[in-house]
Parts: sequence; structure tokens; C-alpha cells
Amino acid sequence: MGVIIVLIIVGVVGYFIYQSLPNTKYEKAKNLFNTKDYTQAINILNEIVEKHADAPAKLAECKLSLGQQASGKTEKTKYFTEVTALRKKISNSATFAKFDSIEAKALFELSKIQYEEAKGNIEKLSQNIRFIDTANQKGSESNFSSLKTKHFSDLAGSHFKKATEKENAGKHSEVIDAIQSYTTARDYAKKSNNSLIVNNSTSRILICQLKLSQSVSLVGSSEIEKSDKNYQKELYFRYAIHLLKNKEFSEAEKIISLHLNFQAADIDKLKEILRTEKVNNAVKIVAEINASIDKLYNSTLSTEELKSFYDGLDTASDELGIIDYELSEKIADIKPTLFNRLLTKNIENEEYNEAVNIIQKYPKFWESPELLKNLGICSYGLAAKGLLSERNYKIVISGWLTSVFSDKVILKSLDDTTWDDNYTFSLTEAIGSNYALHEEIPDNVNYDEVSESNISIGATQKELLQQFETIIHKEIQDTKLSKLVNDFYDNEKDAIEKIIAQIENDVFFATPYFAISNGLNNEIISELDNDYNTYSNEDALEAGVSYIKNSTSTVVYQYFFANDLIDRVKSAIDNENSGTIKKLNTKDNKKWIEKFDNISCTVEDNLFNSISNKISENDENEKLMSVMEECISFSNHNEKLKHQFSNYVANYCISKVNDEKIDNFKALSLMKGAYLRSPNNPKIVKNFITLIRFNLMDMLNDQTRKTKDIYNILDWVKNNMSQTYKQNSDELSKARREILQQLKQSGADISLFDDDNPLSRLHLNLGQSLNAQGLKMKRVLTYLKELGNDQKSTNPLDALSRLRQQLNLDDDLPF
Amino acid sequence: MTNPYIILGVSQDSNKAEIMKSQMFAMKKKEFPLQVIAVAAKQLLDPAKRLAADFMFPAKIKVKRIQPIQCNLKHKEINTDSLNENAFNSLK
Repeated sequence: MGVIIVLIIVGVVGYFIYQSLPNTKYEKAKNLFNTKDYTQAINILNEIVEKHADAPAKLAECKLSLGQQASGKTEKTKYFTEVTALRKKISNSATFAKFDSIEAKALFELSKIQYEEAKGNIEKLSQNIRFIDTANQKGSESNFSSLKTKHFSDLAGSHFKKATEKENAGKHSEVIDAIQSYTTARDYAKKSNNSLIVNNSTSRILICQLKLSQSVSLVGSSEIEKSDKNYQKELYFRYAIHLLKNKEFSEAEKIISLHLNFQAADIDKLKEILRTEKVNNAVKIVAEINASIDKLYNSTLSTEELKSFYDGLDTASDELGIIDYELSEKIADIKPTLFNRLLTKNIENEEYNEAVNIIQKYPKFWESPELLKNLGICSYGLAAKGLLSERNYKIVISGWLTSVFSDKVILKSLDDTTWDDNYTFSLTEAIGSNYALHEEIPDNVNYDEVSESNISIGATQKELLQQFETIIHKEIQDTKLSKLVNDFYDNEKDAIEKIIAQIENDVFFATPYFAISNGLNNEIISELDNDYNTYSNEDALEAGVSYIKNSTSTVVYQYFFANDLIDRVKSAIDNENSGTIKKLNTKDNKKWIEKFDNISCTVEDNLFNSISNKISENDENEKLMSVMEECISFSNHNEKLKHQFSNYVANYCISKVNDEKIDNFKALSLMKGAYLRSPNNPKIVKNFITLIRFNLMDMLNDQTRKTKDIYNILDWVKNNMSQTYKQNSDELSKARREILQQLKQSGADISLFDDDNPLSRLHLNLGQSLNAQGLKMKRVLTYLKELGNDQKSTNPLDALSRLRQQLNLDDDLPF
Repeated sequence: MTNPYIILGVSQDSNKAEIMKSQMFAMKKKEFPLQVIAVAAKQLLDPAKRLAADFMFPAKIKVKRIQPIQCNLKHKEINTDSLNENAFNSLK
């Protein structure tokens, strides 16, 4: 019994000892914490805070939870502060890590409480930001960051409010302070992404600057447009006044029309000032113009002043048009007189470039024979004075030709003289004349025969052209420029002559450059299209090609396109690019070519000539063969091309085989193409047959590895023997006979080599057979027989015809 | 190429006799080589070629004499002082 009692006592004591151990207590506290009994847990943890390493962190966690549960600010603050005070109780580093995150949460909670108290108070908000910045944030960084952003946003609002109060006070110094506060508000707003305050601060800063009469720039500020509408209204109004005071009237007008476009008496006042300024400006402009007119008729206006006067008229007329339309019209009316004065001065002073410039700027100058004539004179002057350059030669030449080719211009010369009163003038030989279509013709002009008293206008035009040509042929020293000028002249002249020859209606004849530069080309193209549509006249289309700019829907363009296709093929021939020709060989492309007889009839000759040029450069160019094959396929008419191809291939093969540059098999392969395209050309056929013999001999003598390929070609030949082939295949039969003769002489039984021979079958029955060499010999002899004229195919021409038909080679050879 | 009228020193309206006379005068004056004078005379005596020479005189465009522009508008001083800058005060 005593033992039992002792054991019980020991057990009880042991239990109490166990219960009082720190680990046991810590576990108990943890359980209490998990059941959210923080107060009991705190009591236990307080007992072991010095004895258990993890106790302070757990204690802090309990206090943090209690703080979070607490409702009063004071109580919350007490718990969170107690959490932070526990740091000093921690002794080991592992516990520090746990504690850090709990402390950060407590500090965050404290920051939140302080933020709530600081709202609207710049000083307190700033203080709390400092608190946040120095606080341990471990594990709660994003919470602190968001809280800090809230502070910035609050500070932005507070500073903005402070700024408006200062600005409202209205004193100079306070407005300066307000700018500072708006700037601070904008900075905080930027940090907190508060775009409203950013935009509003920007507008208010500008308003304050305008209040202080500082210069401002509203350019490129997108923030203004997003700011408060009333702020914008005030800003733009103040800015408009600022601009008006600085006499920046056009800028002020822009601001008013763009941003102050609403009804208000104060806005009307601004508009009235603008109108007054315009009236004043108009009065000034008119005074200046009148002063210039005075100088013009007193002959004291220099050419430069005249030019500047003339150049400024359009702007002056536009400016006055806003105030007084009639006044603007009066100004515009003086332009032709000034233009004439300036042009006359330019021509007198031989300032031809300037003269050409102002003529070209004159609206529809080509409709005035006088201006067109003066353009011709200036163009001639530039050429005669050696002033042609790479920059101006196109304008000069097109201007000259268009001028001289206009009979109206030539007839204009008759108006200014009296020497010609005893003469009449005939347009019979005139170039570019469409006077016949005019209702009125001058009294001294007719279409009668040229005589001593009836002078040829055409002769005058030719004289002028000849004079100009003499200059450009002989007097341009720079060789490159001379070529450019003369080539361009020839092309322009050729083109205008072509359209004159085609067009019957009364249109303005101009050279291509002139027409395209002045937008006259479409009318010309339209006339040529009509001519084609009425008379199927392809020459009219040909004439229009130079006048194409972007008129893709016209027949002239289609004609150009078809021609261009041929040019592209020719270019591909030149570059030996068979792939390009293959790509161009489409149904649609061929359809365009076939539409125009002029083009389709000359395709073959064009390609033939291009290929001939290539052959003349190098007559042993194997690459050219594929190009030629593509050309045969491209051209619907191709007999000449086939003949050209076959001969080229044959010559190539003969030369290369003789020089041993290619083997017999390659030559046979190439010649197969030639034979296919010219199956009845004796030269081709004979050479092809010779190559067949060579290849059979090569096989017999083991001089080729291409046995299979050779037999393939020979099998094809068996089925594709032309009449000419049959007539010339004796060479093969002869070769066979010679071989058999040699075999016979050497004692061989030649009946073994001929399946048709009944003895051959007898031998076979007797078990006599040929060895490998013998079988090879037999095969060669069989092919010699079948390809020679000993063997006739049943209907070989039909098969060849079919193949040729598939390859677009169905026509008979014309040679 | 100098204009034949200038070489011979004659007006555009001169008749055949005047041209021939001026040729003699130009030859005496020796301002231009004899061959140039002969070509100029030949040109002016051939009506078609003379018309080509006439081409080189600028065409006169008929235009009106410009009259001073009458303007009924009057200059007025611009006064910006009367403008009320606070008309759209947005802080009130």
C-alpha cells in the first residue's frame, strides 16, 4: 500500500513538474492561441517569455490578434505598441525572423491608425510617411506601399486646396506661393497616380503664371485638355488676352476659335479686337499696295520689289477677303497686270528661269497663246544662253516643243507686226494644227496651197525646231547633259508628233512631260482610247503610252501593260532568267498580248531578236537553252523560235562533243529537245541519229554508266519517229550490219542476236544461250534494228504529234 | 543665235527695201561678221523664216492700267485694357 502511495505521490509530483516545464506551457499556449483564447495564451506566455525562445514571438502574435480584434483606437494602439516592445525580449535569430513579420504587421496597423488621424493635415501626413519609411516592413511591403500612396494622394489634395486658398487671396506674393503649392500638389499627385490633380494643377499653374503676367506656352500640354472644364475656360480666356496684349493676333484667333467657341459678352469683346486688328491690317495692306502702284507707274519699283509685290498679292487678297470681299477682288484683279510687268521684266533682263517659274505658276497658262509663246521664248533663251541643267532641261524642252507645236502660238506672232499684211498664211503643212475644227479662223489664215504670198506656218515651225535642235546638238559641252537633253528632246518630239498624227479632235497638244506635269494627259489618253474603240487603231494606243501616269483603267494602259510584258520577257532573256519567263507565261498575260495585233504579231520576232543578240554574245551558252524553251512556250507563234532553238542546240552539241567537253549521253539528252521541236529538220535529225549511234556504241563498249537513261530516251524515240527521221535512220541499220559482219567474221553465230531469226529460237530450245556480254550485244543490235530503217513503227508519227501538241509545238516547220 | 532684227538693227515692221538697206549699213558697221549679217538678211527676207524670228519677241498681253485701291475701312486703336481678365474665374 505504502508503495502505491509513494508511486501516486511521485506521479502527482512528476505531473506537476511536467506541467510546469516551459515547453509544456508553450504548447498549451499555442493550443489556446489556435482556439483564439489570446488572453489565456498571453498569461501562460508571460510566464515563460524569458524561458522559452519562441514565447516572445507567440506573445507578439497574440497581442497583434488582440489589437486587430479590439474596437477602440486606444486599445488597438496599446496592443500594437506592446507588440513592438517585445523585440528586446528576443534572444535568438530564428525567433527574430518570426517576430519581424509580426512586428511589421503591428507597425502597419499603427501607421493606418496614424493615417486616419492625419488626413487633411499636411504636417501629420508627412510625419506618418517618415514613420512608414523608418518602420520594419518585412512581409508587409505592399501594404505599406499602398498606404504611402494614399498619403501622397491626400497630400496632393491638401496642397492643391492650400494653393487654391492662396490663389484666391489674390495678392502677388500669394499667387507665387500658390504656384509652389500647385507644383507640390502635382508632384504628390504624380506619385499617387492622381491624374485629376495632376491635370488641374497644370492648368492652375498656367493660370497663376498668366495672373503674374509671365509668358507661358500651352503647346503640347495634353494635361490641360483633361483638366476641369472651368479651369480650361479661364486658362484659355486669360491666355487669349495675354496673346492680344502681345499682338500675337493669329495665335489668339486660333485659341478663341478652338477653345472659346461659345457665346459670352467677354468673348465677343475678344473677337471685336481681332476684327479691329484685321481692319487695321487691311488698311495697312491697301496703303502698301497703293504705294507700290505709285512706284510702279513712276518707274521706281525695282524688279525685286515688283516680284515681292506680285508674290505677296495672293496672301494680301486672302487676308482682305475675310474683312471685305470686294476689296479682296480688287487686289486679285491687279495680279494679271503685275504678272505681265514681271514677266516682261524677266524676259527683258534675260532672267528666263524666273520667267518660266512664274508662267508655270499662273493658273492654266497653257490656255493663253501669249503665255505659251512666252514660255517658248524663255525655253529657247535658256538653251541659247547655255543655261540648260539636269534640273531644268525637262521643263525647258517640254515647254519649247509644246509652244512651237501649237499653231495658235505661231499665229499670235502675226498680231504684232505689219510687214505681213501683204501675205496670207497657210495651215496646210502646220504641225499640231486643229484650227480646222475652230469656228473662227483669222482672216489672213487659210488651208490653201503654199505659195510665195501664202506662207507656210509649218515651215516657220520647222525653222524654229531646227534652230533649237542646232543649239542642243552643238552647244552643250557637258557630254552627259547633252545626251540627256537630246534623248529627252527626241522622245518628247516623237511622242507629240505621234498624238498629233492620231487625234482628230480639238484637244490641247502637249508633250508627255508637259501634259503629265499639268494634268493634261488624261484628256489625251481618253481621245486615243476613243480612237481605238472606234477604229481599232492600235497606233493610237501606241501614241498614248508616253502619256500614262496612273490611268490604269484605260485601253492605252492595257496596251502599255501588254508591251511591258514583252519587255519583261526580253529583259529576262538578257539576264538569262528562264524562271521569270515561266512566271510571266500565264493565261491572263497571254490574253492581254493577244488583244493587240501590233503586239501579238511581233512577239516572236521580238523574242527571236533578243535571243539572237544573246547568241551573238556567246554561242555556246547552255543556260540560254532553258530560256529559249520558255520563250517557245510563251509565244503562240513560235516556228522561228523552235528553229532557232534546235539549231542552237545542235551547233552546241556538235561543238562540245567534238571538243570532248560533254559526253554523248548529255548531247543526246539536249538533242532530244531539239528533235522534239524540229522533228523534220534534216540537220537536227541527222545529228540526233548520229548521237543515238554514239550512245549505243558507248553502251556496247562499256564507256557509259547511263545505260538506263539512254535506253529510256531510245524507247521514247522508237515511238516518236518523224518522217525525216525514218528517211535518215539508215545510219543505224548500217552500223548494225557492220557489227553483225564483224561477228560473223570472228566466227560467232549471229542468229543468236536476232530474236526474229527462227534459228535463234531453235538455239534457245537446244539450251544454247548468250553470256552477259552477248546479251548486251544482242540488246544494242536490237535497238539498232528498231531505230534504224529495218524496223518500222506502227504509227510513230501519231505519238510524236501528240507530244508536240502537248508542248505547244503543233505547227509544221516553215523552212 | 542673235535675233536677225538686232543684227540688222531694224524694226519688226520694216519692209524688204529697209532690210536690204540695213544689211549694207550693218556690213559697214562691222559689229557682226559678214556671214552672220548675210544669214540674218536672208532670214528676214524669207517670210516663213521671218515669222520664226518674230516668234522670239515676247507676246504682249493686254492688261488694264492698275488704279489705286479705294478703301472705306478706317484704322482704329486697339484697347485691351478694358478686358476683364477675371471674367471666367473658376475658383469662385
